[in-house]
Amino acid sequence: MKNVPDKNILLFKSCLVSVEYPGIESSTKYVFDKIGVDYHVDRAQTCCTGLGHYSDVFDQFSTTVNGARHFALANKLNRPNMVMMCATCYAINKKVANILNNNEEVRDEVNQVFDDCGYDWMKFNKGDLDSRENIFHIIDIFYSKRKEIAKNIKYDFSDFNIATHHGCHYCKVHYGDTIEGIRNPHIIDDVVNACGVETIGWYDFKRTTCGSGFSQRFVHKKHSLTVTLDKLKSLKENKTNILIHLCPNCHVQFDRYQTYVGDKIGEEFNIVHLNIAQFLALAMGADPYDVVGIQTHTVPVEPILKDLKPLSKDNKDEIIEKVSYKVDLDESEDFNMEADTVKVEVNETN
Amino acid sequence: MVEKFREDSLDLEEYISHNIKSSKPKGLLKCVQCGMCTSVCPAAQHSNYNPRSMVECVLEGDTAVIEDEDIWYCFYCYTCHSICPADNSPCEVNQVLRQIAVDKGIADDHLIPFLGFGDSFLNHGIGGIPENFFPEMKEDIGDDWWDFKTHLDDVRNHLGLDPVFPSEEAIVEVSTILKSCGFEDRINKIRNHHKDED
Amino acid sequence: MDHKVGVFICHCGGNISDVLDIEKIKESIGDVDVIEEYENLCSINGSKIIRDKIINENLDRVVIAACSPESHEKTFQEYVKPLNPYLMDMVNLREQCSWVHSQTSDSFNQKATDKAVNLINASIEKLKVSEAVDPILIQTTESAAVIGGGIAGMSAALSLAKQGIHVYLIEETPSIGGHMAKIGKVFSPVKIAEECGLCLLNPVLNEVVWNDNIEILTSSKLIKAERRAGSFNLLVEKKPRYVDTDKCISCGDCVEVCSQEIPNDWNDNLSYRKAIYKSFSQCYPDTYVIDIDNCDQCGDCKRTCRMNAISFRQESEMIPLEVGSVIVSTGHKLFNPDLRPEYGYSRYDDVITQSELGRILGVNGPTKGKLQCLSNGKVPKRVVMIQCVGSRDIKPDGHKYCSKVCCMVALKNANIIKHKYPDTDIVLCYTDIRTPGMFEKYFKHAQSDGVRLMRGRPGEVVKKDGNLIVRVEDTLTRKFKEIKSDMVVLSTAIEPSEGTKEVAKILNVSQTEDAFIKEPSPKIKPVMTDVRGVFVAGTAQNPKDITDSILQATASASKVSELINDGIDIEPFIATVDNELCDLCEECVKICKYKAASVKDEEIYIDPMTCSGCGKCIAVCPNNAVQINGNIEDKISATIKGILKGKKPGERRIIAFLDDVGYTSADNIGVNRLTYPESIHIIKVISVNRVLPKHIIYALENGADGIFIGEYPGDVMYDEVENKIDKIKGEISDNNIDPERLTFSKVYIPYFTGLARKFTEFDNRIAEIDELAK
Repeated sequence: MKNVPDKNILLFKSCLVSVEYPGIESSTKYVFDKIGVDYHVDRAQTCCTGLGHYSDVFDQFSTTVNGARHFALANKLNRPNMVMMCATCYAINKKVANILNNNEEVRDEVNQVFDDCGYDWMKFNKGDLDSRENIFHIIDIFYSKRKEIAKNIKYDFSDFNIATHHGCHYCKVHYGDTIEGIRNPHIIDDVVNACGVETIGWYDFKRTTCGSGFSQRFVHKKHSLTVTLDKLKSLKENKTNILIHLCPNCHVQFDRYQTYVGDKIGEEFNIVHLNIAQFLALAMGADPYDVVGIQTHTVPVEPILKDLKPLSKDNKDEIIEKVSYKVDLDESEDFNMEADTVKVEVNETN
Repeated sequence: MVEKFREDSLDLEEYISHNIKSSKPKGLLKCVQCGMCTSVCPAAQHSNYNPRSMVECVLEGDTAVIEDEDIWYCFYCYTCHSICPADNSPCEVNQVLRQIAVDKGIADDHLIPFLGFGDSFLNHGIGGIPENFFPEMKEDIGDDWWDFKTHLDDVRNHLGLDPVFPSEEAIVEVSTILKSCGFEDRINKIRNHHKDED
Repeated sequence: MDHKVGVFICHCGGNISDVLDIEKIKESIGDVDVIEEYENLCSINGSKIIRDKIINENLDRVVIAACSPESHEKTFQEYVKPLNPYLMDMVNLREQCSWVHSQTSDSFNQKATDKAVNLINASIEKLKVSEAVDPILIQTTESAAVIGGGIAGMSAALSLAKQGIHVYLIEETPSIGGHMAKIGKVFSPVKIAEECGLCLLNPVLNEVVWNDNIEILTSSKLIKAERRAGSFNLLVEKKPRYVDTDKCISCGDCVEVCSQEIPNDWNDNLSYRKAIYKSFSQCYPDTYVIDIDNCDQCGDCKRTCRMNAISFRQESEMIPLEVGSVIVSTGHKLFNPDLRPEYGYSRYDDVITQSELGRILGVNGPTKGKLQCLSNGKVPKRVVMIQCVGSRDIKPDGHKYCSKVCCMVALKNANIIKHKYPDTDIVLCYTDIRTPGMFEKYFKHAQSDGVRLMRGRPGEVVKKDGNLIVRVEDTLTRKFKEIKSDMVVLSTAIEPSEGTKEVAKILNVSQTEDAFIKEPSPKIKPVMTDVRGVFVAGTAQNPKDITDSILQATASASKVSELINDGIDIEPFIATVDNELCDLCEECVKICKYKAASVKDEEIYIDPMTCSGCGKCIAVCPNNAVQINGNIEDKISATIKGILKGKKPGERRIIAFLDDVGYTSADNIGVNRLTYPESIHIIKVISVNRVLPKHIIYALENGADGIFIGEYPGDVMYDEVENKIDKIKGEISDNNIDPERLTFSKVYIPYFTGLARKFTEFDNRIAEIDELAK
């Protein structure tokens, strides 16, 4: 497994987390504090451009200029490890880092912009920040801390049917950097396992997009929601109670529109949507309203909470042992793989 | 009828491969039209969009693809990008085609609804769903959502979070660099061009 | 000592004489006994001229100024007989002079003519210090080991045995036969029919078993290998069968009482076998074997056996073998379909591989040849086949290559189904159907049988309402489709077996980027490897069908036979150790990257087949006990002296030392008629490591304006050389010479344009330095 940092982290705010599900940010902080991750959130950080970028309003150059400012900020704060709560922030920033490191022409033009504005400190030198070494998603951090997660679990979710939705921009864009599955993504499943819960695993349309498609939800609403519906139907067939997300955009698509599409076809889905950070925070005993922020959800989370049972000590010990065993096994396998196989070359220039 | 063989078929391909957006410049020419992109494409399952055939047009130098309405149905989900056996990225090819359309001034209708993303960035330093979509969203999602939106600051405060907007200094910085790099001009050009058309 | 030197200049039918002024060359080289020119020296007439002059004029040193030694060195070594071949030297006037410095005008190229003179002078000086040496001939042991007992290994062993060569056939599993034994029907393009694989295999298997020259070692694995002169010392571990093959009469009573049920790998785990088992009924040895990892050692079988053949006390046996050659026929394995999880192999019982379908269709398979869905035992109404699973796929875990046989395999299984179950619909999803040669007829046959073809690479297989659904775009009609199916068959890629990778490491044989055994030149040296005496056959080398495997196996046997009958000629320029001076400190053993030096019977032994003559050991020997035959250092000094002879003021002469790869690359510049400056004079060296600091300093102090060193980065000495260059630059500075006059560059055979460009850039750089120096 790649080296995942737990120090010098700049926790990167996401626009959709901030305005739709702020509980994801407070839950992330809550969990990070529990599992020993050193992070900082900064008010000088703005936004990745993602929503505008993928609505074709932002061109790649403007997005790159904006990204370079954040890399300079991260280095200035001595927090070069940027960790994202949103899959699109993750993909956008990685791509910007790759362009800045590998495309000299664009790098010079970007630096020229900073020159013109008199922002010398924003200038990017090759290698200042590396896509693979410095840019992560919170799921990467959680995955690398599965043992610590297991130790902090207080509630038992094993009576629920839990499915995972990995979305797109975490696993499919920079797939060479993705941990645990591109074609069958299962990193969220693995983190949920660390809480002693087996997910439903694969289901039809598991790797399919939520359907938001950035502009699609707004201008081709039917097209967009048909894809969401495909997925909801498959989840319902699998009797899903909770769907776990790692991207706030997917979260909006499912949580805000589940009832709407259900009404259109006269069906009820009753699937609760939680971000992985919210799920972990709840499992660790965080307050649903003061930390997890479930009051901002459209599909009520309360029905789940009412059935939640505390985890017995025996069960907890068993989970800790199982997770430790699995993590150690994974790590030893990784070690063997590295020794044995030729590294897969992923041709990616930016 | 015999169709004329295009002598310049690689022009479009070359433009796309060398575009700043293309992370897989070597893949486009290697496409063998196997159709795996379309086989996994959610847009192809629910619309006339067909990534394979879009790439075919690009390789044939058929510039009509730039004006094709179907390309505006792609979800940018990158599934094709993640599985293409030839290491092409139809998803990014699509993004570049749309940018060409924007530059040619034929995509105003597609962009106008989303210009708010740009405005919000220039004025507040962050993106956010443009307000023009709020009425419909309120209608679709419900009053509870709207109620929450109007009390966002209170909720954030309750959760121990900072205000949504970044520091004043940061907003000035972002707005300055986005003006300097030509982004503001780009937005204005689209808006003015659109008005002229009307 | 005075030598009688003859120089022979070849016109090469104008290739040389149109550009170079031959008359002027003849005038300019002094102090030789004979100068001759001829239109085509490599012709029979040329050989007469050379031989007559040598005999009549008593020549003892001969310069052939003609083409590249790569083209005709062997020819001229033959023509100068009875002169010792190492007293003849070739000057490369064509590839490195006339072809790279040609001009469009009618007049001769004066600068190139001057360079030709320098090169001939260099050759004369080199020959003056050359001594007669004889090539070393090594005779190999008349025996061979064949590793892997599949169809390739058996065919190779049989061919060798019939040529009177003793063969050890080493097979890891308890029985020989390999994949072919379980494949069921095989395809035959000529008969447009499928034939029984085992029926074709059985006679070969019997022949192998009954041939006295073949010793079969089953349950055996190569553990260690050492190359010594013409032979290999192998260590083979033979695992116990726990059943005495001499006593067992194969009655099968033991199987009846065994209570362990284990997935039967011979049936691709589609059925079960016992812990005591026989892979298949015609296997060899035709006795039972105990799968000890899955046996609880209850002893029931032992008590039942009337022949008292079973013993749990058998132990592994280490068998040392000495053989002359090794054939690697370790075969392939199939791509793990779980690496393309979207096809649902592990999720759905009725998604299977072509190999599993082959077992299902085999009369000796889990369903006795009845086609049925594994989930419900029903005959499928529709079967969808998906091609290229893991092949032609650049994404992580995929293979960039085409697995070559899958199209034929899929068509074969489709045809078999169509013949026996005409109502079953078959849809074959493909990207390209690759049926070269006669196989195209087989493809047409499948089409006329009604096998449906769908051009498109499926995205995923899912299950809906009890049916499998294949999602695919029909790229010919541009329609996205969901095909309902009862069974989905994946044509998985062929990849090198674990055994292939292990054996390659043990024998120190290079592998391709895909981990197959690598041939030094797949185009013109098939079946060879980069280790002399090790050959490859079958799918260990790349994906291929049975026929091609047999062809390659027979060819490799023939190569072994060549070695045995003709011996191996080795260039004599290798290290020798003076045992009087050697105190066995083993510094040379430690430093040798080729592992050519070792201690044997209280003496340092240099393996002549392995030593490259790089000379690294000379430098580390505290007692000066090591020498390299053929005084290469003196020859390099003499060559430098010759090149710099008669240098005029204002003239620029740069010396380029190139290894074999660099030299060939430089030849390629000429062959492709690219140009570089006339100042570049090339000296070929076995290893750049042989060029010592003293050579470089001598050259720079005696008129060389620049030194260019080119080495292939794949060479094991590369890192050494790269490190050394910085050190030498320091030494150059100490001698008050600009260290920038020395440059070091990587060279590759195909990257000759780059080399030409580097020559030109370096020449420009030197010109600038000269300008500054003024």
